[in-house]
Amino acid sequence: MANEEFFPQVREAVAEALGLDEEEVTPDATLLDELGAESIDLLDMLFRLERTTGVKIQASDLASYVQGGIPDEEFGDEEKDVITPAGMTQLKTVMPQLVHLDLDGKLQPEKVMSYFTVQNLVDLVASRAATVSS
Amino acid sequence: MARFARLLREHPGAAPDLFTAVELAGCAGKRRWTEHLAARFAAKEAVLKALGTGLGPRMRWTDIEVANDPEGRPIVFLGGAVAARADACGFRQVCLSLTHTADFAIAQAAAVRGNNADLSWLARDGGTKAVDQCAFT
Repeated sequence: MANEEFFPQVREAVAEALGLDEEEVTPDATLLDELGAESIDLLDMLFRLERTTGVKIQASDLASYVQGGIPDEEFGDEEKDVITPAGMTQLKTVMPQLVHLDLDGKLQPEKVMSYFTVQNLVDLVASRAATVSS
Repeated sequence: MARFARLLREHPGAAPDLFTAVELAGCAGKRRWTEHLAARFAAKEAVLKALGTGLGPRMRWTDIEVANDPEGRPIVFLGGAVAARADACGFRQVCLSLTHTADFAIAQAAAVRGNNADLSWLARDGGTKAVDQCAFT
């Protein structure tokens, strides 16, 4: 799934939105935790990416991408406040960095996006670009 | 506030993506219109957090509309995927408080399950004022 085509544009958008040097924006850096992005920064990144790539991504598309069409009640166990096994299988597909983190049965839904990396964003842009062009 | 102003300035398409026509019209012509819009954006985030969802799949920022009642108090209208999610979770009302200065926009929201009658315990003076203020998270 790892894609490099849009990495330069994503790196530039992330760096400009967060006021970072591009060298700080590495593929495995998490947007929210390590790079410190907040909701408004995410919007800034997505608008910059739309301008440079022509691919429009709504903020909610990130949640749609990681959830992969699985209904909310099947993706998260509300009673236990954790991602379901089906949800974890989906997450590991689009966020392969989770495979080695021993989060099965432990990952809370509100924590999912804290693991979202620059590379995940690159892959999302590539995925949406492919959808638009097909 | 500075980051929000920069967002609107550098991305002209942002405003219609984030705000409904009612919200944009409500802030248009006001001298500190950026502050008013920033407060409404903060309100949308607060509402989503109060609902416990964040911006989930298929949700749009415009699914949450912040307006003012005749007394000028902020009120929230939900639509689209946000309304569907709130309804599925049993929420029947969202209470909101906003404030803004030149540097900050702050919003507090409380999502309430049930109907207004369930809020009667908040009315210490027996009137409606305490109920209108609601409890904020």
